[in-house]
Amino acid sequence: MHEFRVQVGPAAFRIGSRWRQPVEQLAALYADYPKPEIPDFTVRLDAPSLLRRFLRKSVAINGDFMLPDAVPLPFGQALLAAEMGMNLQMALGWRRHLLLHASAVEREGRALIMTGASGSGKSTLSALLGQRGWRFMGDEFVLLDLDSGAATPFPRMISLKNEAIAAMQVAAPAARFGPLMTATPKGDIMHMVPPVAAITRMAESAQPALLLFPSFGHLPAVREVAPGENFMRMTQASTNYVALGEAGFRAMTRFVKSVPARAIDYQTGDEAIALVERLWERLV
Amino acid sequence: MVAPTKYYIAEPADQLWVEPLDAITLIYQRRSGITHMVVEPVPEILTAMGVDAVTAAALVAKLSDQFDLGTDEDAEAVVTARLEELAELGLVHRTQCDA
Amino acid sequence: MDNQNDNLPNNVTKLPTSRRALMLGAAAASAIVTVRPALAQTAGSVLNCQIPVPGPHGSGMNIDATGKLVTPDTAGSFTATGQKFTGEQVKKALAGGQLPGTTYDQSRAYVNYIRRLQAGQSGFTCYASLQMPR
Repeated sequence: MHEFRVQVGPAAFRIGSRWRQPVEQLAALYADYPKPEIPDFTVRLDAPSLLRRFLRKSVAINGDFMLPDAVPLPFGQALLAAEMGMNLQMALGWRRHLLLHASAVEREGRALIMTGASGSGKSTLSALLGQRGWRFMGDEFVLLDLDSGAATPFPRMISLKNEAIAAMQVAAPAARFGPLMTATPKGDIMHMVPPVAAITRMAESAQPALLLFPSFGHLPAVREVAPGENFMRMTQASTNYVALGEAGFRAMTRFVKSVPARAIDYQTGDEAIALVERLWERLV
Repeated sequence: MVAPTKYYIAEPADQLWVEPLDAITLIYQRRSGITHMVVEPVPEILTAMGVDAVTAAALVAKLSDQFDLGTDEDAEAVVTARLEELAELGLVHRTQCDA
Repeated sequence: MDNQNDNLPNNVTKLPTSRRALMLGAAAASAIVTVRPALAQTAGSVLNCQIPVPGPHGSGMNIDATGKLVTPDTAGSFTATGQKFTGEQVKKALAGGQLPGTTYDQSRAYVNYIRRLQAGQSGFTCYASLQMPR
């Protein structure tokens, strides 16, 4: 059994596998991250059957938290399996913060949070802003402190999909990238190691100051999102809002009442960044 | 045989956290941990109910003191429908009389 | 309206004489949406899942236009071989697209079958993970 431990933000993971290669790949990508003593979650990358350890190798994602109907991925996508496994533990098991499916970057102690469904561009935008002077906090989950409302980083490997892969290789030529995985359920995927500052400052939270709902593929536009609509959308973007009960209600209500929100449409990364800078200057 | 008059009584105020936003009002139900997003006339109905058991008809009278209800649909039928919807969710309870 | 104030004792201020409009809405129109646990927006990042049509519980049966399992000789029903559809494929079909490898009517029947899945049946969790509440 090969094992690897990593601290990502406040969460400690242990990832184990009978295969050496995925564990070595993970360890290489996460080389600069702290290694925790005591894990919060265990993820295991297993072969679904003895045969599948050797022939048409495939990876089943197992862990403390699992969902039925999960289907193994091909062995070449073991890194994706590890990422999904870690995400799943957070989505189902994390209770210490209000979990938002969103990306975040920080400037001067304040956080810009971007949320939306897959394809909205929140992940790519956070990576791009991380190259333009903002501190990268995470591309998948934002953790809100239940008492203070502060956003805590969860700076896992950045997951780039399809067109974003080439875009980030241009925007961040010095960054470290994982292997290209093609024909995954989400298309082409490549992981990118976040900037050094994101890793060294992963315990530093920031007060949310602006919330954006980006939408890729439309003429540039900005629309205000009122707290009521914000609440409806954010409760759909949180995997643990209901489970947190009163604390979740308090935290989400405070968030929508105190953080200005805008929906932005854009067609290129540069357009989006220009909109972001303009809104940040005007509203924060 | 006349059907007994339906009375409704709101969940006690300390069991509900009400947070008005813009177009919607949030109601967090402490007993169940469930959040409901509601629109007009639900918040107004809950406020008008106060702590007493009321019938739909009495509630319509209370509401029309405070608000112009318009004349589009049968007000009592609409208020009954909302009360029943609230009762299904436990935000309001059905009761037999106003004792 | 002013005559309401004529019967008040002298030391009570007059009642306001105009009321704001209250939209009662229609009896049939619900005024409440309940927040449900949500996995749909994150689902693509946490779950690689498939839905077989039909699942093992329906093996050997056909599917009618409403998505119910029926015997293979039922007129107008569609054959189904347990073909597996990914979460992404089903998500697109739920939004109005068509399941790959099916005709238009067959796809609609299959989607209705998926919508009828109950807890414990193969594919239910996958389907539930795709649900975005209204």
